[in-house]
Amino acid sequence: MAERDNEALRSIYRDDPEMAELIELFVGELPERVRALREFFDAGDLASLQRLAHQLRGASGGYGFEPLGFRAEQLESALKADADAEVVRKRVDELIALCSRVAA
Amino acid sequence: MPTTPQTSATILVIDDSPDIHRLMGARLRSEGWTILGASSGEEGIECAIAAPPNLIILDIDMPELDGFETLRRLKINPATLPVPVIVVSANTAPQDKVMGLELGAVDYVAKPFDFSELRARIRAALRTQRLLDMLAKRAHIDGLTGLWNRAHFDARFHELAAGAQRAGQPLSLAMCDLDRFKSINDTFGHPAGDVILQRFAEILSSIVRESDVACRFGGEEFVVILPGAIPEQAAEVMERVRAELREQRWTRHPERAVTASFGVAPVDERGAEAALAAADAALYVAKSSGRNRVVISGERAALRQAG
Ligand SMILES: [Mg+2]
Repeated sequence: MAERDNEALRSIYRDDPEMAELIELFVGELPERVRALREFFDAGDLASLQRLAHQLRGASGGYGFEPLGFRAEQLESALKADADAEVVRKRVDELIALCSRVAA
Repeated sequence: MPTTPQTSATILVIDDSPDIHRLMGARLRSEGWTILGASSGEEGIECAIAAPPNLIILDIDMPELDGFETLRRLKINPATLPVPVIVVSANTAPQDKVMGLELGAVDYVAKPFDFSELRARIRAALRTQRLLDMLAKRAHIDGLTGLWNRAHFDARFHELAAGAQRAGQPLSLAMCDLDRFKSINDTFGHPAGDVILQRFAEILSSIVRESDVACRFGGEEFVVILPGAIPEQAAEVMERVRAELREQRWTRHPERAVTASFGVAPVDERGAEAALAAADAALYVAKSSGRNRVVISGERAALRQAG
């Protein structure tokens, strides 16, 4: 999936009145999730990291941020496959980078 | 049949992800459904047993009790067994779909889901369930009279008898049989007989109490279960039915009144089958002592001779 580096990632549902409030909530809480991702990775708590990736994967599409779901899925797959620490780090970084581009 | 919107439907969402609960709430609200949430399998099962919803949306990937085990438990509990379950999962492997459906789910939707598809699948599941409920109910209703049928009587009577015994509450049973019905049928034809059966059912329904269970037992025989009533009270109710029937005027045969005989018995520690036999014996006494009367089991027929 091609994503240009600095462009803001916006929800495909941003014009849907039924979703506006939820998208804002999701975006507002995203820094908290990023912090948790980082902490679980640094602490080597891979089970919690996988859980977080799994939830992000399941929810992102629902909020209209499919690329985010895709990145979360890549991290989840790497963890499921017991990938090297370096691969996991790369996936975490990619996911966090994309999170930072998410905008309401 | 018209597809009326199921505005009153209650949907229970069992999912460990708070995001899914938020999204479901926002995305399903427009249908007018009431959305309840549980964040674990245990909580969901508890919720569903306490107040069975019209439909359950169940996540497979949950810590502790997973969706499959939750589904298994929902399907072994009589209270939750009939509730349709749509399984949702990020795992789209065919064997997971097969497992979900084999365990009794009505549908399987992959996450992340498209909410318009999910809404359509929920509507379809609710529609099917309404038809199943209707068929199940119809299988317990007598087509000619609209009363409960013999199958319903068999199912309910033992249940009510056991319940009354446990609670120490009285329960009575009344058997009714139309007098000389065969002769009326032979003389005035079957349509006249059907009118009598239908009218008698109407009288019975209008006089028995809300909690009583009036059934067509077969042919021209009827049976009423009267929870909370001692035999004397049940006999009073039947006496009103008897009098009302006797007063009817029939357009097809104004010269010929129609009467019925009644046998009443308590359902006590001797059990349901014994009560049925006792009511039948009392009915036999009512018939053999002149018909058009109500007889309580064990009572001398002469006491309740009616005019
Ligand atoms: Mg889950």
